[in-house]
Amino acid sequence: MRRRLARVRGREPTAGALAVVLNLPSGLCLLLILAWPVLYAGWLSLHDVSLRNLRTGELPFAGLANYARLFGDEIFWLTLRNTCVFVGISVALEVVLALAVALVIDDDRVGLSRVTRVLLLVPWGVPPVVNGLLWAFIFNTQFGYLNRALLALGAIAEPINWLGHPTRAMGAVITAYVWRTTPFNILLYHAGLRGIPRDYYEAAEVDGASAWQRFCHVTLPLLRPIIAVSLILRTTFGFMVFDEIFAITQGGPGNATWVAAWYTYRAAFQPPFNVGLGAASAWVMALVLAVAGIAYARLIGRHVT
Amino acid sequence: MRLSRTRRALLIVANLAAIAFLVLPLLPVVLGALQSEKAIQSDLRSLLPRQPTLANFELILSGGALRGPIFDQVSYLPKSVERFPAAFMNSVAVAASVSLLTLLFGAFSAYTVARLRLAWTRALLSLSVASRLVPLIVLMVPLYVLFRRYGLLNSLTGVVVAEIGFLLPYAVLILVPYFAALPAELEDAARIDGCTRFGAFLRIVLPLATPGLAACATIMFILSWHELLIPLIVVSRPEAMTIPVVLAGLVSDYFVFFTLMMAICLLGLLPTLLLVLLLQKYVVRGLVAGALKG
Repeated sequence: MRRRLARVRGREPTAGALAVVLNLPSGLCLLLILAWPVLYAGWLSLHDVSLRNLRTGELPFAGLANYARLFGDEIFWLTLRNTCVFVGISVALEVVLALAVALVIDDDRVGLSRVTRVLLLVPWGVPPVVNGLLWAFIFNTQFGYLNRALLALGAIAEPINWLGHPTRAMGAVITAYVWRTTPFNILLYHAGLRGIPRDYYEAAEVDGASAWQRFCHVTLPLLRPIIAVSLILRTTFGFMVFDEIFAITQGGPGNATWVAAWYTYRAAFQPPFNVGLGAASAWVMALVLAVAGIAYARLIGRHVT
Repeated sequence: MRLSRTRRALLIVANLAAIAFLVLPLLPVVLGALQSEKAIQSDLRSLLPRQPTLANFELILSGGALRGPIFDQVSYLPKSVERFPAAFMNSVAVAASVSLLTLLFGAFSAYTVARLRLAWTRALLSLSVASRLVPLIVLMVPLYVLFRRYGLLNSLTGVVVAEIGFLLPYAVLILVPYFAALPAELEDAARIDGCTRFGAFLRIVLPLATPGLAACATIMFILSWHELLIPLIVVSRPEAMTIPVVLAGLVSDYFVFFTLMMAICLLGLLPTLLLVLLLQKYVVRGLVAGALKG
């Protein structure tokens, strides 16, 4: 028996060797499909990459010309501003709405709170592009259900043109996006609330704390790490929003809803197909997000160890 | 804690509002899909369809062959209608492949991170967190150029490859906490009985982590089914389009056919919505694990 064990062990690779072998597939994938492309994007951003150059295969060095063009583009700065507005408002809404819903369904005694928990992931299950199209329908001036409902209620006399007005269009894409993404936050906060021992609330209540005081001095401090994680995740994902913009406004009216990902998409994949410029704007965006990413990794790292 | 009567009433109202928030926006999809375009244009104030019809669904599911009476006067149909059945199969193929491969590769890596605990495998965790935050569009610009060079454009393989690169770090993040939570004694016992490390991984760790594997596979399938940007850029040939790309083709069409568009939307969202509702337990735990414990 012992000899047999020894024989098996003898053939067996060490933990280090096994780890190398097991990490081979993912390592290759991440190197080839993630790391190399991201670096290659940096290389592309320093070259003149047009559709014609791609056909001939010769990509002449362009120095910082793409970046100069990017920073000289008024629409790029407008895009940056729009992105900040979009991210700021949607992250705030996601956090506040999710916190409110999570607090309501935390109490099993509230009627139908179980139903809410079952339906929680419904918006998350909707494909983002479908979400965009469905809100485009809701906000449509003539046939949309929002104007229908408002007209039927007598709240308005004439249909409102939601998507043809810069501020309203931004409001519309934010509404659509926040509807789809808030459930993820609710889920996190719900899990966080479940982790708070009930005795804490009871002790606070015995000490005469009001519901508001219990929320401020028990709930919020204990949820803080989770809220921090959700803030970083939602901020970075907000920067990447594409589908809803594509389906609802296509960046319009004018350039009112141009956001970071849309700018890169338009630059690289729509006429005149300036892939180099697209790569430059993508790298600027990646740089902005890297800062958030490092903060996130640190925060998570502290949780796991 | 006791609830006063007014507080309880307020909470119930708030909860009803939450339910409305979660499901109300889907109502127009259903109501729109059950009407003819003519009906929706004739009365701009009515909310419920006067003459509900399933003709939109018949048309789409038959790929444009079964034209009910409501399409009598219609001379132009969006391309998306005839492309839908093939795109559905493409989406199934892509999502299934992506889900399977990310699960396999992800499980290998997650095992080395959670159970072998070497210094460098644990660093993989931070790397996965960092890669998860790479914006997809940053990836797509260079991938387009590379795929063009290596002939992966316009193929489902190209779509699968790009999606694996994008989703694999997330799969690792979801799986690590499940593997880490298993007691070490079980693996040790198997090793004393003569099992190799890899054997213990296959026979002990994987079966015990089934809930995690289910969660990961489901989430990967859903995210792949939802993915628009990757196939939009990789594919321009109709035969290789997935559901989101076909739907995106409606954007330039939608002022013409809202009812048909909502019917296609409904069919496109149904698979993942059903998955989310049926496998909710797994999806919820997987999402929380991937965000907080990874």
